[in-house]
Amino acid sequence: MSQVEPQGPVLTAHRAGLIGCRSCGRVWPDSEAACARCGAALVPPDRRGLQAVWAWWIAGLVMYIPANLFPMMRTQTFAGLQGNSEATILEGVLELIDHGSYDIAIIVFVASIIVPIAKFGSIAWLAMVAGRPASVDQAHARLKVFEVVEFVGRWSMIDVFVVAILSALVQLGFVASIHPGPAAASFALSVAFTMLSAQSFDPRLIWRGLPLQSQAGN
Amino acid sequence: MTDTPPPKPASPVRKTAVRAAQAGVNVIWLVPILALLVTLAIAWNAYSDRGAMIEVEFADATGITPGETTLRFREITVGQVEGVQFTPDLSSVVVQIRVDQDVAPYLDKQAAFWIVRPQVSAQGVSRLDTVLTGSFIEGYWDAEVTERATRFVGLERPPLIREDAKGSWIRLSMDDGGGLTEGAPILYRGIQVGRIENLRLGEGNEGVIADGFIEAPHDDRLTTSTVFWDTSGFSLSLGTQGISFNVNSLASLLQGGVSFDTLVSGGQPAGPDTVYAVQPDEDTARNNLFVGAQAGQLRLSVLVDNSVRGLEKGADVQFQGLNVGRVTELAVRVDDENGDGEPKVLQHVTIAIAPARLGLAEDATPEDALAFLEAAVEAGLRARVASAGFFGTSLIIEMVEIPDAAPAQIDTAAEPFPIIPSVEGEITDFDQTAQGFISRIGNLPIEEVLKSATEMMNSVTALATSQDTRAIPEGLRGTIEEAQAALGDIRTMVEEFRDTGAAGNAGTALASASELADRLNEAAARLPAILDALEKAAVSAQDVDFASIGAQLDATLQDVRDVIGTPEAEALPGKIGTLVETLDAAAGQVDRLATDLTESGAAANLGKMVEEATAAFASVQAAAVDVPELVDQIDAAAAKVEEFGFAEISAQAEGILADLRAMLGSEDAEQLPRNLSATLEAASGLLNDLRDGNAAGSLNKALESASLAADEVARSVRELPQLVQRLQATAARADAVLAAYGERSAFNSEAVNMLRELRRATESFGSLARMIERNPRAFILGR
Repeated sequence: MSQVEPQGPVLTAHRAGLIGCRSCGRVWPDSEAACARCGAALVPPDRRGLQAVWAWWIAGLVMYIPANLFPMMRTQTFAGLQGNSEATILEGVLELIDHGSYDIAIIVFVASIIVPIAKFGSIAWLAMVAGRPASVDQAHARLKVFEVVEFVGRWSMIDVFVVAILSALVQLGFVASIHPGPAAASFALSVAFTMLSAQSFDPRLIWRGLPLQSQAGN
Repeated sequence: MTDTPPPKPASPVRKTAVRAAQAGVNVIWLVPILALLVTLAIAWNAYSDRGAMIEVEFADATGITPGETTLRFREITVGQVEGVQFTPDLSSVVVQIRVDQDVAPYLDKQAAFWIVRPQVSAQGVSRLDTVLTGSFIEGYWDAEVTERATRFVGLERPPLIREDAKGSWIRLSMDDGGGLTEGAPILYRGIQVGRIENLRLGEGNEGVIADGFIEAPHDDRLTTSTVFWDTSGFSLSLGTQGISFNVNSLASLLQGGVSFDTLVSGGQPAGPDTVYAVQPDEDTARNNLFVGAQAGQLRLSVLVDNSVRGLEKGADVQFQGLNVGRVTELAVRVDDENGDGEPKVLQHVTIAIAPARLGLAEDATPEDALAFLEAAVEAGLRARVASAGFFGTSLIIEMVEIPDAAPAQIDTAAEPFPIIPSVEGEITDFDQTAQGFISRIGNLPIEEVLKSATEMMNSVTALATSQDTRAIPEGLRGTIEEAQAALGDIRTMVEEFRDTGAAGNAGTALASASELADRLNEAAARLPAILDALEKAAVSAQDVDFASIGAQLDATLQDVRDVIGTPEAEALPGKIGTLVETLDAAAGQVDRLATDLTESGAAANLGKMVEEATAAFASVQAAAVDVPELVDQIDAAAAKVEEFGFAEISAQAEGILADLRAMLGSEDAEQLPRNLSATLEAASGLLNDLRDGNAAGSLNKALESASLAADEVARSVRELPQLVQRLQATAARADAVLAAYGERSAFNSEAVNMLRELRRATESFGSLARMIERNPRAFILGR
């Protein structure tokens, strides 16, 4: 048990009849219902927990649609003289490209389009493959993806932060003013929902689906 | 590895998992459902708020930006432009506007849309706010929905008058729309009360028609007798009151304008769409009140067989001195009605008469007017050409009653218009009159007359003021004084002579005395001749070409002659005779004295005395010898007077009297000199008086005044040519002024240049305005 043989069956905590506390990480025997250390309920890794992931995921995706269709922020320059721009995220990116600010355009595009979409894809993929048979390497890859999603999740809010900060800073009356559009709230919600979705994902499920190849091989 | 049985928690775990899953579904799935609901609600809200889409066609989409340009109704945003497209034929653009739900139902066929841009016009800059906010589309519609529509044709420019504005619409017809532009003001006493719109050509190529809108309280002033006139630009007119130059407001200078007034009362209130004729200027409007209703005019023809040069189209037709119509047509007509084969060229003048101006009722028809005129013609009314105006050069048609006119009547059958009989025109030929007048003045021999008068006056003045003339009385007085002194000497001498008493030589003395007396007599006899000579001199003096002064002088000399011819003077010879007698008596006394002396025996002394007396007498005789010479000299003097004038008279007389003093010494001769003296004193006084101003002064003064008067006359006459010149210059100037109005004249070209400059300025102003209108932001941003 101590040595993991490459060809041998992979021993997981679940298979070992143990259950880990998701709160503090203490491992308890299967029979325990609550963590004696931190008091959190001990939930065994189960695919049914994915429902919450999917629910948050769908909510996030739903909110992501208006976030892209509605304008992100309203820019008013010279009381509308220079243009009363109401740009959605994508339009903003295109506008930035028009103005030649490719670097900023890439940042905005990555932060507001690629990252959320990648997140949606990653979470959905993780939720789908979780509990399915996989090799150890695959399981490690899934864990990597999960960690990245968890890490990147908070940075998805960069667009919302930008809007919030600009709205607060750029209130120059006649000259220029920026107001958040309806998409900002949607986008924030979407990000929040995806973060909740990512959080709802039980990474233990990644290991649960490891096939008992060694067992089968024996 | 020990064969540890693998844990098998599968079955119980699965059971709990299903339960848990069943329990979890209810809770967590609410989140996406809620999110979906919210999103759908937002989407539905956005969709339902979209409002109705309408399409408006514009010639171009200046200043319209999809997503930005708004639609406004009474300055409230009620929609937004969503898209701009071309029509399939690319002839215009279609602007798609999303109209808010609350106003969309009111959009019907009558709705009007136009693009609001900054407008820079002669009346000012409007909608400058759109420079900042950008152009927007304005719409107007009312609350009554007749037929709903979603596709409209936008107006080219904002309507100048809102549909809901209160007032009256009228139609204005004019010969040409020069100077008028859309939106030109309609003025009432200089106040704008309306605008002109829809300037367009009339149907059938008849002038220009425009719609006019008069705002609400002012449209009450419109009646059927209201007249309109053009106030475009400026007006320049030359009349009897000189040149008048009128410029209305700058706006009307640039945009044109129309003014109206109701000059006569009694018109009915104007109905909608009343057509008014716009007169070229106010005077015409005032004079052509009748032109308002052109249809109701009576047209007549007048045949004139003399020249109608100066008669112009539009000239007045006067009836009893009132304008009742105007000349509408001038033509030549060859008439051969006499049938003698000699065609007669007649001027065919067509006139239009307003029945109402003839004093007929307001609603009188042309037929009524014709009937009225027919009756009047029966009574002797005739048409004729008459001159009018400042120089009488412009002609009018006058209808006057000729009492003894040959019977005639209106030829109602004539085509195209009835012919009213005419008589010979009364045209004053200004040119001829003025020319005749001036030439008559020019022919007057004024200069010669004045020259003569001036010369005469100069001579008179020179004569009256000459030193010699004035010296005459003085010289005479001096002479008389000397004569008195001479007589005193003579008396002394005679006394001495008597005292010495030379009897011996007394005879000789007496003989000498007698001879002297004779000579004196002779001299006295020649005195009248002298006087004659003097008179002759006077006459010759009179003959010297000064006429009236001659008479005056003559009178003066007559007086002198009268003085000389007084009884005393005439008695002078007699007195001299008496003197001689006295001398005789004195000689007798001398004789007696000599006898006494002889008797007393003082002969020796007496002899010496007599010798002295003889010497004295010899000297007296020598003196007496000179008397004829003296007389000759007097004669010569008279001749000289005759020749040279009066200057030498006094000197000569002085000489004469000096000789007389030498000659006369008798005591008894005193009487003569006394008388003479008195006479001469009287003459002297007279002459003094003359000199001191009673007569001569008055004469002098009179002559001076005459001279002055003559000078005045001369000056004024000298000014006469100037006056004539000035008159000519005035005429020339008037001519030049009149010529200046002609085509190609300097004034005209100046005015045309000015107008051209003005137009250029207006054009550049206009292009600036267009630029601002087209691209308001560029004005500020310089884009």
